[in-house]
Amino acid sequence: MMIISKENITSIIPQRDPFIMIDQLMHSDEHGFVTTFEVTQGNLFLQDGKLSESALIENVAQSCAAGFGYLGSQQGDKEPRIGFIGAITKCHAISPAFLGYQLTTKISIIQSFEQIHLVQGEVFHENEKLLACQMKIVLA
Amino acid sequence: MNRTEIIETTKRFLSEEFEVNPDVIESANNLRDTLDLDSLDYVDLVVVIDENFGFKPTADDLKGVETFEHFFELVERKLEIA
Repeated sequence: MMIISKENITSIIPQRDPFIMIDQLMHSDEHGFVTTFEVTQGNLFLQDGKLSESALIENVAQSCAAGFGYLGSQQGDKEPRIGFIGAITKCHAISPAFLGYQLTTKISIIQSFEQIHLVQGEVFHENEKLLACQMKIVLA
Repeated sequence: MNRTEIIETTKRFLSEEFEVNPDVIESANNLRDTLDLDSLDYVDLVVVIDENFGFKPTADDLKGVETFEHFFELVERKLEIA
């Protein structure tokens, strides 16, 4: 079930076109988030028909932004909060994402300490895992 | 878990996580300086404390921790409460 549509995604993330790397927020709670994203022609990161690893990492980061943004909106935040990537560790880029892929990104919140959140991010195309990493997200 | 077990457990997991010699984890030493922690590292510290002692310290808990002695006392307090 979708929580936030592609048309409304900017209500919960601070990124703007052409830098938006998620389409829909499918799930968000205190344990984690799920987003979707279709790799389309014209994507800023698309080169020779595929996305670079850095694009998938940005997809993970924006999935965090969407999830935390949604949770914030449920608590009365009027604007999406700005977040920063504090660290990226344990990154495994397994396979690139190709033009036309429908990505599903799953974020698990491992631990939170004040405004710092340690998360595990995984990007899938259908059942194939394309990338996994841990990320420290700092919310401003 | 008694004090000796807390110290031995702490030396093992903190030396592994933060890549320091276990011998530098001594009661009088400053925790932040010894482990070379920056603010982002505190979330890792919470993860390994939870994994090894079964509780998640809050920011208020850790504000009072300057030395490893303070850390051991915190663990003792939390384990007693649990």
